[in-house]
Amino acid sequence: MAALRSLQGDFCEALLSGDSTRVAEEIAGDGLSPEARLRIYRHHVFTTLTAALGATYPVTCRLVDRRFFAYAADGYIRANPPAGPCLFEYGAAFPDFLAEFPACADQRFLPDVARLEWAMNAALHAEDAHPFNAERLAAVPPGDVPRLVFRFDPSVSLLASPWPVDQVWRAHQDAAMVEAPVDLGAAGALLEVRRLDGDVVMRRLHPAEHALRHALWRGGTLEAAARAAIDRDAAFDLASGLRDLLDERILVDFAVSK
Amino acid sequence: MTDRRGIETGVRAGVGLRSPHVEHVIASRPAVPWFEVHAENYMGGGPAVMRLDAIRRDYPVSVHGVGLSLGTDGDLDLRHLDRLRGLVERVEPALVSEHLSWSVAGGAYLNHLLPLPYTEETLAVVAERVARVQDVLGRRILVENPSSYLRFHRSAIPEAEFLAALSRITGCGLLCDVNNVFVSAWNLGFDASRYIDALPASSIGEIHLAGHAENDADGLIVLIDDHGSRVADPVWALYRQALRRFGPAPTLIEWDTDVPELGVLIAEAAIADRISTAGTDAGGRAA
Repeated sequence: MAALRSLQGDFCEALLSGDSTRVAEEIAGDGLSPEARLRIYRHHVFTTLTAALGATYPVTCRLVDRRFFAYAADGYIRANPPAGPCLFEYGAAFPDFLAEFPACADQRFLPDVARLEWAMNAALHAEDAHPFNAERLAAVPPGDVPRLVFRFDPSVSLLASPWPVDQVWRAHQDAAMVEAPVDLGAAGALLEVRRLDGDVVMRRLHPAEHALRHALWRGGTLEAAARAAIDRDAAFDLASGLRDLLDERILVDFAVSK
Repeated sequence: MTDRRGIETGVRAGVGLRSPHVEHVIASRPAVPWFEVHAENYMGGGPAVMRLDAIRRDYPVSVHGVGLSLGTDGDLDLRHLDRLRGLVERVEPALVSEHLSWSVAGGAYLNHLLPLPYTEETLAVVAERVARVQDVLGRRILVENPSSYLRFHRSAIPEAEFLAALSRITGCGLLCDVNNVFVSAWNLGFDASRYIDALPASSIGEIHLAGHAENDADGLIVLIDDHGSRVADPVWALYRQALRRFGPAPTLIEWDTDVPELGVLIAEAAIADRISTAGTDAGGRAA
C-alpha cells in the first residue's frame, strides 16, 4: 500500500538533494546507470527553475553575474522548491535567502534590489481588483473612522531600503547601461510599487506619506497610521495624504476593526 | 459543425502560443487556425490574461495544463484546480489537456513531467484524479503521453495500454504527442509503431508535434524532448502512421527552447497540413 507515494517521495528527494540511494533500485538502467537517467530529470528541474528565477530577478542576476546567480539559485531551489505550479509565483523568499547567503555578504544592497524585483513581479501578476465606492466610506459613522482598516490593491508593495535600489534598478535596464554608476552612498529609498493600467510603476514616497501607507498596508488602523505619519513629519498634511489614497484608486476594500 | 470556440476535426494545424509572439499575434492577427496556451501562464491577473482575452476574441484556443500532477498519490491541489476552472470558464477553450505524469510530492513542485510506474495502483490514482478534474471542470479532458528517460522495474502495464485503460475508466480523451512516442521509444527501447497501434483510435482528441535534441549520456545517445527545433523526419513518418490509424485529429506544433519567429512555427504547421490533406501519400519533409 502507498507504494506510489513512497516512490514519489524518494524520487523527489533524489532530484532535490542528489541522493538517489533509495530510488535507484526502482529504476531500470537499460544501458545507463539509474543515476545517469535521474540526472536528465534533475538537470531539467534545476535549469528551468533557475531560468524562472532569472526571469523574475534579471537585475539581481546582472549584479552578481550569471554563473554566480546559478550557484545561488541552486542552493535556493534545494532549500525552497516551488510550492505551486505557477512559475510567476516562484521565488518570493529568494531575497531573504540572498541576505543569509554567505557568498553575497559583501553586496549588502543585493537583497533589497531583489525585494524590489519581487515587488515588481508580484505587481505584474497580481489579481485584478477594483477600488471601493467612495460613497460607502462616507457612510461610516465618525466615531468609527479612527478604527478603519483598508485592503490595498493586491499589486501594491511598499518598500524601504537604506540603499538607492530604484536607481540601481534603473541603471541596469538595457537602455540605461551607459548611465553613470550609481552612488551607493546616496540616500536610501522609500518606494511604492504597483500595477496601473497594465504597467508596473515604481515611485519614491515622502517619509511621512510612506509611513502612512506602510502602516495601512500592513493592516494598521487609520489612527495608528496617521500617528506614524505625524511622528515622521509633524508638518505632514494628513487630509491631503488620505485624499491622495482615494484619488489614486489604490484601496479596494475597508472595514472597521474591533 | 462547431461553435465559435470549436476546433474542427479537419482544421489545419495550430501553434503553441509563446510569450515572444503574443504582441505580434495581437497586432497583426496572422493566419493561424488556432492557438494552444499553457494554463499556468494565465493564472494571475494583469496584462497576461488581458492579452489572452484579446487573442481569444480572434482565435479558437486550447488550454494545455502542466501543473495538475495527475499522477501524484496525494491530495489534489484544489486551489490550482479552482484556478484552472476559472481559466476554462473565462477562455471557453475547444480542448483542455493535461499529462500522464506527476510533478509534486510532499508539497514540492518540481516543474517537470515526471515518470510514473505503470501499475494497477497508479491507474487507480490517476483515474480517480482525472475523474475529479473532469467533474470540477464539467467537461472531458485529454491526457497526453509523456516523454520518458527512464522506466521503473515495477511497471507492469505498457504505457499505451495504461492510457487506453485510463480512457476506458474515466471517459477522458487522449492527446498523442507523436514526438514523445518517438523520444520514449528510443530512450526506453520499445517499438514506436506498435505503441501507436496500441492506442485506442476513437479516444484520440489531439496530436502534438515538436522537435527533440540528441544528447550523449555516458556514451549512449539519449533523445531529449526539448521542443527546440523542427520536427524530425522520423517523427513526421510516425505522424503519417498516427493519422492513418487515428483518422484526422487537431494537430499542434510546439516550440519552447530557443523559440524562433512565429513564421517558422507556421511553416511547420503547413507541413503537418500537407501530410494530413495528402493522406498517407505525402512525402516527408515536403517543404
